[in-house]
Amino acid sequence: MTETIAARRTTAPESGLGPLTPLAWRETRRYVRNPVFLAGVVFTAFAVKSWHAGAVQEIGTLSAYPAIFLGGFGMIAACWLTQSTRRSAEALDVTPTTPQARTAALCAVAIVPFLLGCLSLLLFVRIQPLDGVWRYGAFSPSDRMAVLLSQLVVPTLGGPLLGIALARWVRFPGTAIVAFLFLYGWVSLITILAWNHANSVPFVMLRFFAPFTFFTLTDGPYNVDTWRGSPWFFVGWQLGLCAVAVTVALLRGADGRRQRRLIRALVAVAAVTALMYALTVTGGWDHPVVSHLGQAPVPIGHSPHPTNR
Amino acid sequence: MSTSISLRGVGRRFGSAWALADVDLDLAPGVTGLLGPNGAGKTTLLRLFATALSPTEGTVSVLGLDPAEPAERTGIRRRLGYLPQEIGFPRGFSAFAFVDYVALLKEWTQPAARHAEVRRVLDLTGLSGIAAKKIRTLSGGQRRRVALAQALLGPPAVLILDEPTTGLDPEQRATLRTVLAELARTSVVVLSTHQTEDVAALCERVIVLDSGRVRYDGLVTELTGQAAGRVWLADEPDPAASVSWRTGTGRYRNVAEHARTGVEHVEPSLEDAYLLLRGGRPAQADGQAEQAARSREVLS
Repeated sequence: MTETIAARRTTAPESGLGPLTPLAWRETRRYVRNPVFLAGVVFTAFAVKSWHAGAVQEIGTLSAYPAIFLGGFGMIAACWLTQSTRRSAEALDVTPTTPQARTAALCAVAIVPFLLGCLSLLLFVRIQPLDGVWRYGAFSPSDRMAVLLSQLVVPTLGGPLLGIALARWVRFPGTAIVAFLFLYGWVSLITILAWNHANSVPFVMLRFFAPFTFFTLTDGPYNVDTWRGSPWFFVGWQLGLCAVAVTVALLRGADGRRQRRLIRALVAVAAVTALMYALTVTGGWDHPVVSHLGQAPVPIGHSPHPTNR
Repeated sequence: MSTSISLRGVGRRFGSAWALADVDLDLAPGVTGLLGPNGAGKTTLLRLFATALSPTEGTVSVLGLDPAEPAERTGIRRRLGYLPQEIGFPRGFSAFAFVDYVALLKEWTQPAARHAEVRRVLDLTGLSGIAAKKIRTLSGGQRRRVALAQALLGPPAVLILDEPTTGLDPEQRATLRTVLAELARTSVVVLSTHQTEDVAALCERVIVLDSGRVRYDGLVTELTGQAAGRVWLADEPDPAASVSWRTGTGRYRNVAEHARTGVEHVEPSLEDAYLLLRGGRPAQADGQAEQAARSREVLS
């Protein structure tokens, strides 16, 4: 036994990449085996399977499924994954791998739902092309892409990142479920408010103060309401929130110079995110419009076709 | 022998209570035992050694590096093994997977070398046969050995063990002693325990903590020698004894602060010496301040 111990006295052999890459792989393998994430993938697959040209009556309704199942369920799975090592923290925290490296490895797992979100987007665009489709409302093809990115893709990235940030700072085991229910309730509430107060600036601001929102509403046969706000800047706001979540998660356990650098980064990211938010609210259509098949959009309230507004 | 761990004027406060005060220590390769009543500050001291805590006052140096500096702290952690007093395990992990996970965090990034190292420490702790089993299916003693296995990865130049023998059966404890004795030839091994026989069997040096202060720091044999002539057997408990208890033979073992003559003296054990050092005081009353402080820390 003497030989066994003495002969093996060595430092860990380095591969050159450090532990981040293998750790990210390890966490990703754990993540994709999480039953909540798997359930989210299965539900998304069922939803996508139901997509076909005739089924897409309203953009917002179908595009919300990946956000809920990949983003929302992915958030819960990522939160649990992060919390899973908490009971071993005292041993793990004194390893040479910093908490920031471990958090970064955890954040890498968000690539999986993000790629599935991208796949969902491709499938959606395939059955509902961006050019000349009245169901997208009064947006240009470029803005239509931004709407789909904000609804189908970015939430699948942001959900898991939010879950990791929550788990890093909140000890309550049910944090992710509470956050999921809160976000679901918040988005539902502000959508209803936006529907009823489409031209009110405070309600427009409220509508965009969320990680997910709708931009259009199919309002009767061939009528689509297009609400205020810039879809591209909303994507910027969402990506800003993702960056805030990552920075907040990385801040946990940071000290000294690293902490100061992260705080500076957080301030910068928060400033850019706030700017994106302001541009989202002030950009795009400056009033809600309703478009009808084959006709130019008109402001809501002036439509020759009756709506419920 | 070169000093591997050095503490100068170290104090650690939790809230308004001092868990450690005015601690000066130098530790060199070998096994050092840490004894003391509950709440004496043992775990706080070990956490300071393990870079899990920083001192409120004073300086700590481990392997010549300053744990207050992030880069140097990482350098220490590359050569450190730490077994906390209580450790949980992530759900769904097997013994191998958990130790492999810790090995990865200890920068064993090459899979083949890492797996070989994991198998080595699992073998050292007698877990090879159950390496693939989920940790939640293991017994308390087996879980303790999984926790111990991760601490042995490296092997470490500094090994900090907080009550490593808890839950281990006598054979496992004997095996652990063998492993630690071998490791201590080149490494600093510090273990905290309530089992004085483990310290007597394994440690050359013992530190006794009491109310956050070092009460004794020296050789185990010297501490044990202090009890010579103060331990005797009698048919009845002796009123002059600080502590007495009925042994398996039906006779009473008496331990007193002052040497007695005209009695049947017996060879003192480390436990006798420890009890004498403690002055026969009840162990529970001493550590209440630190325990209360640590409770506050957990709550905060």
